[in-house]
Amino acid sequence: MSTLLALSPFFVVGIGALLLMLAEAFSRQAPKGEPQADHGLAVGAALVLFTGGAFAGGLWMFGVDHLDVSGAAPWLLIDRFSFFFDMVICLGAGLAALVAGGYLPEHRLDRGEFYALLLFATFGAMMLAAAGDALTLFLGLETMSIGAYAMTAFRRTSPRATEGALKYFLLGSFAAALLIYGFALIYGATGHTDLVGIGEAARTPAGHSPLLIIGAVLVLVGMAFKVSAVPFHAWTPDAYEGAPTPATTFMAVAVKTGGFAMFLRVLLVALGDPKWTSWAAGWPPIVAALAAVTMTFANLVAGRQESVKRMLAYSSIAHAGYLLLGITAIMRMSSEAVASILFYLLVYTVSTAGAFGALAICGSRDREAVSYEDLAGLGRRHPATALAFSFFLLSLAGIPPTAGFFGKWFLFKAGIESGLYWLVILALINSVIGSYYYLRVLIYMYMREPAAGAPVAIPMRSGYITAALILSAVLVLVLGLTPSAYLDAAITAAAYAASGSGG
Amino acid sequence: MATADTAHLSHGHDPGVGHDDDAPPPAGPPSIKPLAIVGLFALLVATAGIAIVWSGVVPVVLAALVAATLPGRRSAGGRIAMGAITGAIVLFVVCLWPGEATLEGELPSEAGHHLSWIIGLPIAGAIAILFLPRQSPKLLQGTTLAFMFATLALTLPVLGVPMGRTYHFAEDIAWMPRFGIHYHVAVDGISLWLVVLSAFITPIAAYASFGSIRTRIKDWCFALLLLEGAMIGSFLSLDLFLFYVFWELMLIPMYVMIGVWGGTGRIKSAIKFFLYTMFGSMLMLGAILYMAYAYARASGGTPSFDYFDLQRVLIPYRMQFWLWAAFTLAFVIKVPMFPVHTWLPDAHTEAPTAGSIILAAVMLKAGTYGYLRFAMGIFPEVATDYAPQLGGVAVLGGIIYGALCAWKQDDVKRLIAYSSVAHLGYVMLGIFALTQASLEGSVLQMVNHGISTGLLFLLFGVIYDRRHTRGIDQFGGLAKPMPLYAALFIIATLASVGLPTTNGFVGEFMIITGSFMSHTLGRMVGMQAVGAAIGVILGAVYMLMVVQKMFFGPVTNKENAHLPDMTERELVAATPLVLMIFVIGLFPNIFLSQIKGAAARVKDDVEARVDAHPGPKYFEGPISLSPPRAESPRVQKPAVIPSADAPAAPAQAH
Repeated sequence: MSTLLALSPFFVVGIGALLLMLAEAFSRQAPKGEPQADHGLAVGAALVLFTGGAFAGGLWMFGVDHLDVSGAAPWLLIDRFSFFFDMVICLGAGLAALVAGGYLPEHRLDRGEFYALLLFATFGAMMLAAAGDALTLFLGLETMSIGAYAMTAFRRTSPRATEGALKYFLLGSFAAALLIYGFALIYGATGHTDLVGIGEAARTPAGHSPLLIIGAVLVLVGMAFKVSAVPFHAWTPDAYEGAPTPATTFMAVAVKTGGFAMFLRVLLVALGDPKWTSWAAGWPPIVAALAAVTMTFANLVAGRQESVKRMLAYSSIAHAGYLLLGITAIMRMSSEAVASILFYLLVYTVSTAGAFGALAICGSRDREAVSYEDLAGLGRRHPATALAFSFFLLSLAGIPPTAGFFGKWFLFKAGIESGLYWLVILALINSVIGSYYYLRVLIYMYMREPAAGAPVAIPMRSGYITAALILSAVLVLVLGLTPSAYLDAAITAAAYAASGSGG
Repeated sequence: MATADTAHLSHGHDPGVGHDDDAPPPAGPPSIKPLAIVGLFALLVATAGIAIVWSGVVPVVLAALVAATLPGRRSAGGRIAMGAITGAIVLFVVCLWPGEATLEGELPSEAGHHLSWIIGLPIAGAIAILFLPRQSPKLLQGTTLAFMFATLALTLPVLGVPMGRTYHFAEDIAWMPRFGIHYHVAVDGISLWLVVLSAFITPIAAYASFGSIRTRIKDWCFALLLLEGAMIGSFLSLDLFLFYVFWELMLIPMYVMIGVWGGTGRIKSAIKFFLYTMFGSMLMLGAILYMAYAYARASGGTPSFDYFDLQRVLIPYRMQFWLWAAFTLAFVIKVPMFPVHTWLPDAHTEAPTAGSIILAAVMLKAGTYGYLRFAMGIFPEVATDYAPQLGGVAVLGGIIYGALCAWKQDDVKRLIAYSSVAHLGYVMLGIFALTQASLEGSVLQMVNHGISTGLLFLLFGVIYDRRHTRGIDQFGGLAKPMPLYAALFIIATLASVGLPTTNGFVGEFMIITGSFMSHTLGRMVGMQAVGAAIGVILGAVYMLMVVQKMFFGPVTNKENAHLPDMTERELVAATPLVLMIFVIGLFPNIFLSQIKGAAARVKDDVEARVDAHPGPKYFEGPISLSPPRAESPRVQKPAVIPSADAPAAPAQAH
């Protein structure tokens, strides 16, 4: 019983997905080409996801110590760390579902599979966050990725979407193959597939065997693909641009969060030994190099984009770079650094979901907001929409008093306390570059007028997206003004990450 | 489907009502309502003052009557406003003269959240603006002014407290105790006048701008109020985290002001302004984080962002240099000093008049103030070690180079911008020199520059609204069609040049004499002071040259022949600034008596630290803490904080 309770967030999302499929199958389909009636699938999906998040939160309050989670171990590690990620992932996916509720009908993509895919992918991401064994980790990863591939290709008639999805699928499969090959080598070296066992074996003097090192490097590369770190990011801009905006939201938010959950779990549990986390002989220099390259490259390229969606794609890569900085900081002060990553992911989730939601609501059928030019003069034509968009962009840029500022603040603080001065200075300079392209959107919205006769984006009206925007805006503001309570939560969650004992 | 599309379209056009393209607010004679608000406020202050100080009644009433009955065609509201402003300023002098008099009698209570009200009111006003309808510009403008005047009224009681060496009205609330972040505000003699200056200049700029800003008035009012709150907040915060938040918060409204309401090249200027400042402040953020961490390491407890805590941290020289460099870069960009001053001429040129006024008068002071308070207060050893070099930069790159650049400009706004570079060179030189006189002069000169350059930008805005050109050669003989305007402009010029009896003289004189006696400026101290004195001459050259070209000689351009003289609105906006020029010039003691103690404290603190660790490489050892100081207001820390700090200790132990 207690195990069932511990797994309830999974059940809520999984059963919700199945029910939603049924509901979709039994609802009346409009003839081809005609607008679909609103079957409330978006509300249903969002409700399921928020309920899943609420279950995770409730179990958090209840206390993991009161739960018997031995039934799930070692395949799933149910602890505060995974509950925190469940909450963030469910929140991000729920916001994506709300965005889908407005976006899909507007663009005549309104087919119920989307929500089922979204929920299954979320389920996979949650599983990834809780995975304690290479096998469950791989299962979660594939469940999440396949849903994301399908959602990317959801606009079947668009060559762009197909191209993006194909790239995403091929590179994603490649990454998954690298990951599983790496785990196979690690299994060969240690005889374990569970992360705790791998961690124990890696701690022994014999643990530094070449086989294990090669395996670990392969796993690192596979994971770097999933969180789209440069130079493994090539799929990201195309997939993000081709996918319908709600799917992009989901990828930028939930998939990335799941990817970082995996990153943290593997590094902390399997390779968390002081020997492995040392600068001289461990993974920190690799991750630090990844972080430096990722943020610098992504920020420089993002500044050159002409499409806002592509800019946001590169900006999400840049944020992955900042998060990798946080992961590097784990080497000195483990729990604080993990906490700053968790908090940053929460902040990033609400800001990015808000930004993509605002981008979605800025356009309507055939008048989608794609390039900067489309947004020219939006601040005058639609002040509320423009204000919401600017607010989320300022949060992403890290301007106080938004949540993004505190996210960066705590992340960089962890970096400095770990002595990563040069990396932090690089990240700070990158934030300046980042503010340039975020502000460019503001410039177009507020300070430019569209050229005569040029097509401009016409915002749509959607209660769903408005609800998502209001929810994210409130969260951005609350996290920006009173971050301590949430950060405390992140710190408690972080304390469990390395234990791997399942609470 | 078609209906849905038309619904979107009609929605798209709905909010267009009230924008500039249709239904601009009626131009022509300035409305009575804002004038009446000005008048009413000033009358209130005047009557309240009269009740307190009987002895001041006669000069106040006399001055008010004279100002109200000045010849000229004016409306009743305008006359009341002029009279009330003059009366209020005379009352200000009467109440505070001769400086030390405030020591007698009962002091105003320092309890309560006085400073929080001063910071919070403009921000609350900005939020209130969001809820007002876009379509009624009068209501928006009235609310903005009402909030600004209320803020100004709140700053006045602070003036009644003799500042001495310490901080006053301190408020210290644990905000995020685990990270040592506090909401800590307090005022001392250095920040006092800057806060009053901000609260004084912003309503003037806002009032003047309502004549020329006719688009997006709601956004404009929002930006103005937010900017005011952020500026005052940055002057009052003593927690570096809080300071940084306000420091960054200043950026966005000003960026929007330049970018939306600026001239033709506004977008480039706005980005340049933003990126320059952001670059500096980001590096400062890194340094702040390091300092907080160093404090945690030295004290073995939680980090702290509190100014008084960070002042006690002794950091190895090499590291201290880099931290100081990060802080200094942020502040020097804001000041701006050579060679990072290039954003300023662009920003000033493209900014709308009110933006230029606020930028020059208050925002640049955030840089000088920040250097004096934080860079010098936290890193005194490095700051004194590098004072000779920076003093040289201030003289050569600021005072002389700025003056020479100003001389060569053919664009009036650029000229005033370069004159700002020169004037702030004096302020920085005075800070680097670190003598009692030069520090007092620097703080006073910050206020002076705010008033005289603010007035110059305000007055240039008057002619810009009529001619929409900035070229000096476009004007000539303006004194004939616009005699009143010419008179006021010449007063502003003379204040900027530093003629005795105007404010500029007092500040520059104190800085130059103070710098001669400096111990920190090294062997070249005499040269630097002489260079600064040469700068005064150059200042007279370029400022008088522009006056001569613009106002005297024949009217060369036909368009200038029949320009109307200053309107009532413009006159009412300029009056308080013109009067303040003479108030500071004639009664500098009112200001200096408040600055004196804080300046002495800064000097003594720096000297004590430098004396304790002599030699260039003063401190090599590990990060440690010096003992706390008696005057630190942190002694009143509420008892809750230690218990709140306690659970965080294990997390720090890693």
